[in-house]
Amino acid sequence: MKQKTLFEEGSLWPVIAALGIWAAHFLLSYWAAALWCAKAADGSGSLFWVRLAIAVLTLLALAAIAWLARHAVRRYGGRLTFEDDLTEDSAAERARFLGHATLLLCALSAVAVLFDAVPAVVFSTCR
Amino acid sequence: MDDGLSSFRLPRAPVAAAAAALAPAALLAGCSGPQSWADTAGVEAEAVARLLWIMVAAAVVIWLLVIGTMLFAARSGPSDPRGRGARGLVIWGGMVAPTVAVLALLVAGLILMRDLTGRTGELTVEATGEQWWWRIAHAAPAGDADAAPVPTPNELRLPVGRTVEMVLRADDVIHSFWVPSLGGKLDMIPGRVNRLHLTPTRTGRFRGACAEFCGEAHAQMALPVVVMQPEAYADWLAGQAAPAAEPADARTRRGRELFLATGCGACHAIRGTAAEGKLGPDLTHVGSRLTIGAGQLPMGRAEMARWIADAGAVKPGVRMPAFDMLPAEEIRLIADYLVSLE
Ligand code: HEC
Ligand SMILES: [Cu+2]
Repeated sequence: MKQKTLFEEGSLWPVIAALGIWAAHFLLSYWAAALWCAKAADGSGSLFWVRLAIAVLTLLALAAIAWLARHAVRRYGGRLTFEDDLTEDSAAERARFLGHATLLLCALSAVAVLFDAVPAVVFSTCR
Repeated sequence: MDDGLSSFRLPRAPVAAAAAALAPAALLAGCSGPQSWADTAGVEAEAVARLLWIMVAAAVVIWLLVIGTMLFAARSGPSDPRGRGARGLVIWGGMVAPTVAVLALLVAGLILMRDLTGRTGELTVEATGEQWWWRIAHAAPAGDADAAPVPTPNELRLPVGRTVEMVLRADDVIHSFWVPSLGGKLDMIPGRVNRLHLTPTRTGRFRGACAEFCGEAHAQMALPVVVMQPEAYADWLAGQAAPAAEPADARTRRGRELFLATGCGACHAIRGTAAEGKLGPDLTHVGSRLTIGAGQLPMGRAEMARWIADAGAVKPGVRMPAFDMLPAEEIRLIADYLVSLE
């Protein structure tokens, strides 16, 4: 059976995509700071460029997550609901469930991406 | 069928009751003394303790709220989860509040970390973790900028009221530097330099410990710490920077001969003699230390002889061979010489 591609109807990919963006944001921020401080920083150990890079990465990641959330709402009919049980055995309900899960994971990932960026706000040097 | 698990029975009631009654006393007893994060003697330890108490207070409030809500829900019987206020409770109480609490903790922790590591100190002390002792070196006394750092292993002396920058390294495996009363902990990692600040606020004797399992004698890798008045500290450092004292009598002179002849100098240095080994602690002023073997024996002639005869009996795994093949009298002569090196 052929795997569904990223944005084909019924694909599971959107569910984990937000978590993937969070993971990528974390790794790239971490690598940027570690490599900069080990190889590139001058005597003062200023983190200016790393903080700038992390700011850009953070905006990119948030934009990607926002787009994904929009996708979950538009294509899957996802809603931020707490009261409704999504238990009906139908293709439409399954899609709604995927949209719902995607939307919640987008919210979680957005918060997590912001948390990743907090150290860059607090620290201004490699020390 | 006896599966061998029958010995894992729960303690019988009286035992459990006694344990429960004693536990608070035991816990409180751990809150004072020379190695306690709660009995602070340094600016950095105070900052860590303050954050901990704030966390504990916040945790108690949150715990009471959650348990209170739970009891309230249990009392008031089943109700419609879609009822008024339920959605708000889930969103604000279940999502927003925990996120804000964790964010606050993260920011407080990061700011604390920045303040503990990010400044420059008034003086610099290098400490390198070794299996299973502390290679420590103080920047040479002021006015002597290019002089080599002064080796002062296995004992940390600091002037009260000054901010010291500890430069932490490791030679073999990961160790961790922790003097709970003053501050820390921070890992010592091979190939990396970590920096930690200590600003002692009162004089006294404290105890540090290696806080990362580093091999067989890890638990015996202690670090006596002495916080002194700045003048006393300066005198002490000047003394440590000087070469070893010449033997004052025939006994200690013979001890030095034996020390050199036995090959101790392959691992140990005594500045001012032919002994220049770097594998073990510098012994130039070993007699001035409070303890032998990184906090294992009090300094004394009998204890020194015991250490030399079989250091592994005191500290299993130690990287120093036993010398009990030497006649006891020769060991005593070496010991007397070392103890005289103040
Ligand atoms: C193979 C190297 C080696 C030789 C040889 C050696 N030692 Fe040691 N010694 C060490 C090491 C390593 C330590 C640190 C042990 C520890 O605390 O884990 C040590 C610790 C000591 C200490 C304690 C130092 C302190 O700061 O508390 C004394 C004293 C000492 N050695 C004396 C001697 C004498 C005397 C001899 C010769 C009879 C000798 N050593 C030979 C490796 C050696
Ligand atoms: Cu250790």
